[in-house]
Amino acid sequence: MPVVTLYFDRVKKILGRNVPKAKLVETLPFIGLDIEDETADHINVEYSPNRPDYSTDYGIITGLQGLLGIKLGMPTLKIKNGKNAIKATPTVSKVRPYVTAIEARNGKLDDETIRQIITMQEDLHNGLGRRRKKASIGIHDLEKIKFPLYYKTVTQEHSFIPLESDVSMTVKDILEKTETGKKYKHILEGHSKIPIIVDSDGKTISLPPIVNAKLTEMNVKTRNLLVEVTATDKNAAEGVLAVVANTLQIAGFELYSVKVTGAGNSTPVLKSRDLVLEPELVNKTLGIEISNQVIVKSLKKSRLDAKLRGKKIVCSIPRYRTDIFGVMDLVEEVALGYGIQNLAPTMPESVSAGERNRTTKTLETVRQIMVGLGYLEVMNFELTSKEILYEKTNKDSSKIISVADSKSQEHIILRDALLPGMMEVLSRNIHESYPQKIFEIGTIFEKGSSINEVVHLACLSSHKDVNFTEVKSVLQSLLKTGFNLTCDTIPQKEPMFVDGRTGSIVISGKKLGALGEIDPKIIDTFKLRMPVSGFEMRLTGLIFD
Amino acid sequence: MSQVLHPIEQKILKTLAEKKNLTPEDLSEITKLSLDQIRRGIEWLKFKSLANVVESEKTLVTLGKRGNEASEKGLPERQLVNYLRSLDGYSCEMNAAKDYLKNEFGPAIANAKKNGWIEVHENRLMLKGYHDLSSEEKIIKTISKTPMGVSTDNFEDKDALESLKKRPEFIVLTSKKSALVGLTEQGMEAAKSVPDNIDFESVSETSHKVEPDAKVVRAIDVEAAAPVIFAAKSHPLRDVIDEVREIFVSLGFSEIIGSNVQSSFWNFDALFTPQDHPAREMQDTFYLADVKAKTIAKPDQIKKVSDAHKKGWNYQWQNEEARRLVLRTHTTCVTIRELADQKHDEARLFSIGKVFRNEKLSYKHLAEFHQVEGVVVGKNVTLRDLMGLQTEFYHKMGIKKIKFWPTFFPYTEPSLQSMIYNEKLGKWVELFGMGIFRPEVTKPLGIKNPVLAWGGGIERIAMLRYGLTDVRELYENNFGWLRSVPKCQ
Repeated sequence: MPVVTLYFDRVKKILGRNVPKAKLVETLPFIGLDIEDETADHINVEYSPNRPDYSTDYGIITGLQGLLGIKLGMPTLKIKNGKNAIKATPTVSKVRPYVTAIEARNGKLDDETIRQIITMQEDLHNGLGRRRKKASIGIHDLEKIKFPLYYKTVTQEHSFIPLESDVSMTVKDILEKTETGKKYKHILEGHSKIPIIVDSDGKTISLPPIVNAKLTEMNVKTRNLLVEVTATDKNAAEGVLAVVANTLQIAGFELYSVKVTGAGNSTPVLKSRDLVLEPELVNKTLGIEISNQVIVKSLKKSRLDAKLRGKKIVCSIPRYRTDIFGVMDLVEEVALGYGIQNLAPTMPESVSAGERNRTTKTLETVRQIMVGLGYLEVMNFELTSKEILYEKTNKDSSKIISVADSKSQEHIILRDALLPGMMEVLSRNIHESYPQKIFEIGTIFEKGSSINEVVHLACLSSHKDVNFTEVKSVLQSLLKTGFNLTCDTIPQKEPMFVDGRTGSIVISGKKLGALGEIDPKIIDTFKLRMPVSGFEMRLTGLIFD
Repeated sequence: MSQVLHPIEQKILKTLAEKKNLTPEDLSEITKLSLDQIRRGIEWLKFKSLANVVESEKTLVTLGKRGNEASEKGLPERQLVNYLRSLDGYSCEMNAAKDYLKNEFGPAIANAKKNGWIEVHENRLMLKGYHDLSSEEKIIKTISKTPMGVSTDNFEDKDALESLKKRPEFIVLTSKKSALVGLTEQGMEAAKSVPDNIDFESVSETSHKVEPDAKVVRAIDVEAAAPVIFAAKSHPLRDVIDEVREIFVSLGFSEIIGSNVQSSFWNFDALFTPQDHPAREMQDTFYLADVKAKTIAKPDQIKKVSDAHKKGWNYQWQNEEARRLVLRTHTTCVTIRELADQKHDEARLFSIGKVFRNEKLSYKHLAEFHQVEGVVVGKNVTLRDLMGLQTEFYHKMGIKKIKFWPTFFPYTEPSLQSMIYNEKLGKWVELFGMGIFRPEVTKPLGIKNPVLAWGGGIERIAMLRYGLTDVRELYENNFGWLRSVPKCQ
């Protein structure tokens, strides 16, 4: 989850009131933030990506103001009519159809504010912007721009000076050679025409969704900003713009509209929307009896607007709250505003007697018998490596099941047997005292027309006198004691076991597994110095379905 | 005296109480027990702090060539005395004695004179006085009885030993390291209660077959250490899983199970996670390579779920994407499918199983771990009920201090996380998450009543239970740990 740094001196200034540090730290979790760490001058908090308005200290403090009762209700965007415009040309429709923008004027930037804005931009790119694919933001020094702006497409031969460069580069080079170019060029893949924003002097200001131009880079002296968002989804574009606009307004900027036209685009209306909430739903869901007034107050503490209309509550939701889908989201807002700590746990009446699953019960029986026979339970991962499963055991790997793009080479293949992992366990325990007797009950995976999941039981015994007969006795005893079953062991060469000392386990004419003495060559590959015998059999289909 | 002493111990105690410090060899000699029995006995006594052993260096005296001769024929001075006694008048000329004793003449005269056995007058030797064994003779005699050698400490007349040492080839001194066994104060005390008659014979070694003439079964040292053996048992993590399961059952929940491999539809789409959501990306989730689900759900279910996505998330929902097979990232896919297929109006269900995340393994992350999830379906269930159930669950786990914070999960609204206070760590730890399934999840699947859901990872509980700081230890299957970790914590 993304992290925001809150400096206590900034918090005090933005909050508009001196709240003791302890009170702040205590309150933060109740607006849904996780505290990462705390030092003398700052605190790091994690926020859930569904609340992009918490991607800066400004947004978080807005939330805190509500819960602390300093400011209630919805922050409204005050957007004055601006004079500037951006025009989209139809060629962008095929690659990145939507553009939207707003001006933020007469603000002040310092290093920390710039850092917060950049962090917000990155978090929005990754979350709502779906790693820039759905929407991406450009923030520019307004004074460097000559309006109107044009959102259009160019060839890859087009060139300009991108951020973090001193020389002019072609779009092609930016995509092929720069870090961000390489990271995000896949979004433009398959398009010969590349989207670009240029000003009326023909100067490039942005190559969305890759990089801005050096020309319009903001710094601590910048007072007036242009925020533009390009997107494949108009709704997402405006949502993102609303988060940025709201944040900049709290940071002290005045907002001015930018006229957006062309190719299905329009000037953004970052208006709140209304949802009607039935008080009964709130009380019924939370299990409380609170008055409509308390509900209204709670919503306002969650920085929403609310008013009574007859027996219902009309709730106004600011445009930047993209996380609110419907009335149930408002119920949560009431709970937060009311205070989770004020909800006392209750026990619902039980309507049923509980029970374990039948398979669980049967497996528990198998486990108890194996323990009774002197076997220690081990638990291995279901994802393993090719080396352990096939290379060390010399097993047939033609039906290998692998996962895509595993971060770890040791966890890339779904096991089709338990014994290889168990041999690895013995191999890691050669220093421990013998006899060593282990068993495992677990899921293995078989590739057929689809993937089959089967529960297996396997056991291994290792000590200087171990032999075929010992494990056959164990197998017989397990089947007889647990399930009154008998089995045949039919001579048959089985993987991992040594020829002449191995056979198939057959019950009622069905082959269910194999037993025997482990092949000394395999014992060698696992670097064991003791003989090993064991068996592995399927339980699915035998003692449960 | 609570300690039971073996006859061997009794013998050693009694002997040492009389003779103070002895070597094992001496003890063997005195007690007539084999050296092996003595050594065992000493070990037992040491273990009980009744005896201690001091390593010491001793000088052993054995007979040389002439010493051996002397032990048969006597020392030269004795030979002289005997010679004189055989003569009439008990005297002779010097020369006669010289002829008789040859080379030994000189020392014989000197020592016989020293012993006061003879007198010399003019040129004549005369016997006189008594001729008891001299100190030197006693030494030779003692040594001749102990061919292994006798410690110099055993001889009181150090001068005699010194004089024998000066006479060539009579005695040989070798130094030898030796353990000297002595009694501690408790040992001295214990020795007092040893009976005079130590009974080796009339006791039985076993209790199950008392020999006919045996009076009693020999008492053994019940305090002695016994060899370590290991009980076979279930895995410690399994025990925690079983405990969690039992608590759910006791709270009226019935267990449901499902596959590890799921279609993306049930793992994500049915839970309102949009197809372009970062959680669905390969870097977080294990997708199976080269294989897709054939059928994923009933056509009606697919249609309604995809409609909810289009409405809520405003994008083109792809059936192909929903068919991708994943290793389930939570057990919620099992729960939601059960609810969608069975349409329970009232139910308490739970599921425990493996879940998978494409993570690099570290001390706090595994690529696969166990998760439990419980749901309550009911017309009148509330968020406070959910908190109550959670509290009750923790109480049954022995956790008393609990608090709730708001949080976010894609498929529940409202959502909470529970924090528990861990006494061992002395801090609040995040444990289970919970919430009420979103209408966007339940409505398309035809689930009418509210669904409370809660759950979390079991390994985390196991870590707290067993005091582990590295979650990987749970899967190392280290026998040292598996064999030694107590079943009850």
